[in-house]
Amino acid sequence: MSDLALLLQDVLEEPQLIDWEWIGENFWEDIVPAFQGHIFLSFVSVAVALVIALPVGVFSARYRKAYPPVTFVTGILYSIPSLALFAILISIPGVAIGPAPVIIALVAYSLLILIRNTVAGLDSVPPETIDAARGMGLTNRQILFRVELPLALPVIVAGIRIATVTIIGIATIGAYINGGGLGQLIFDGISRQFPTMIIAGAVLATVLAIIADLLLLALERYLRPWARARRT
Amino acid sequence: MIEFRQVGKTYPGSQSPVVTDLSFEVLEGEICVLVGPSGCGKTTTMRMVNRLIEITEGEILIDGEPNTAMSATRLRRKIGYAIQQIGLFPHRTIADNIGTVPHLLGWNKDRIRDRVDELLELVGLHPGEYRDRYPAELSGGQQQRVGVARALAADPPIMLMDEPFGAVDPITRERLQDEFLRIQEDIKKTIVFVTHDIDEAIKMGNKIAILKQGGILAQYDAPENILSRPDSEFVSSFVGADRVLKRLSLTRVGEMDLEQANGGTAGLPRISGRMTARAALSELLGAGQSSAVVEMDGENRLLTFEAIEALTSGAEQSA
Repeated sequence: MSDLALLLQDVLEEPQLIDWEWIGENFWEDIVPAFQGHIFLSFVSVAVALVIALPVGVFSARYRKAYPPVTFVTGILYSIPSLALFAILISIPGVAIGPAPVIIALVAYSLLILIRNTVAGLDSVPPETIDAARGMGLTNRQILFRVELPLALPVIVAGIRIATVTIIGIATIGAYINGGGLGQLIFDGISRQFPTMIIAGAVLATVLAIIADLLLLALERYLRPWARARRT
Repeated sequence: MIEFRQVGKTYPGSQSPVVTDLSFEVLEGEICVLVGPSGCGKTTTMRMVNRLIEITEGEILIDGEPNTAMSATRLRRKIGYAIQQIGLFPHRTIADNIGTVPHLLGWNKDRIRDRVDELLELVGLHPGEYRDRYPAELSGGQQQRVGVARALAADPPIMLMDEPFGAVDPITRERLQDEFLRIQEDIKKTIVFVTHDIDEAIKMGNKIAILKQGGILAQYDAPENILSRPDSEFVSSFVGADRVLKRLSLTRVGEMDLEQANGGTAGLPRISGRMTARAALSELLGAGQSSAVVEMDGENRLLTFEAIEALTSGAEQSA
């Protein structure tokens, strides 16, 4: 029987699901570092993915021919099962297990969403706004940074929201290749057949995802003050 | 002054030019209206002035200098640009929108702010109320006013206006046209104005350039002459069968040479000197009378069918 099945059996027989004493004793030593590690993994992954996705998205929006191949490649990356991707990555010579391959995989996952939203955001900018900007003598660069990106930003941030929530979930699997984070609690809990650790890891990962979602939603709203303005 | 010299535009891979051998001048302080059916190249012609579209033949001179003498962006900052869809920046306040070009030109904040307020006053929007609003908070007509203010911001000697009053209802359009003509009396810009509406062309233009398919200049002249002496079948059908009536709309009753009324005016309709001859004619027909009384400079004058007819006949015969 697998670890998981044994565990389920245990859980069903165990009257006390959460061992509060364990949580109290291991809070600073295990739980907080796992939580911090998880934030680190997710944040770094989204940041790196953005650094790649923004220029690629802008390029794809400009040179439309580049867009289908870009979505094709990132679409494939997006569809590889995460566990398989981790396995592939650590089988590459020179890639050690640890946070690095986890971050690489998480970046690969978020590229499709971020690039697609960047392109959609730029597409949503009214063409007459760009025409007026050009007609008034803004350079292409000024049009991109002062008109197109600010107007596309809410849609881009909406993409960051989806990517972040997805990444926070997938990052738990990263512990399988020693990436750290809340997944560590979950995997340890499974192998020790100790439900408290699993629940702590799962609940915190969920809470983190919800907080990140709400913060980014607030950012999305904050970035479009003009849309809050009332119409007369 | 803007000078078109044998200007042509053919897009790569296309056989037929969209603008063909176009030569005409737009004089200092005049409004030149480009008008014609859709696909006649009028917008293309306008956009070639500030090089949003590059010409493939000939040249466009601005005050004697080819418009290719400086970079396209520098050129554009010296030419006001207002379009039908307005294209206000939705994420910027009205003040920021209007201040776009002054900002690009490196004006300081105070100067930009003063200029914005001045322009808002000019286009009839209260600065205190509108300065800090976003475009979405304004009505269509107000947005068009802001679009015009933005085009005027850096006080460019030349303006390009592509159906700048096109996106509003007819009543608002008429008001915006009147307001703009009033403003133009003071600012005397050299303007290339595009429209598909011959009535707007007649109203706004000091000169009208009628273009036909392929960007060929069919006629270039003052509105009166276009109406009284259309060069071709194309022009006369474009200005319409009611071109005589349209000519009447160019003259106000108060500008007509009318005889003094000597009694016997009781029961005749009284009309204002500000009315156009066309509207006055309509009044007469409606009232079933052959004459009406106009009060001019404290005197009663008599407007008759004959006087109205005289407006249309003179030029017609010489054609």
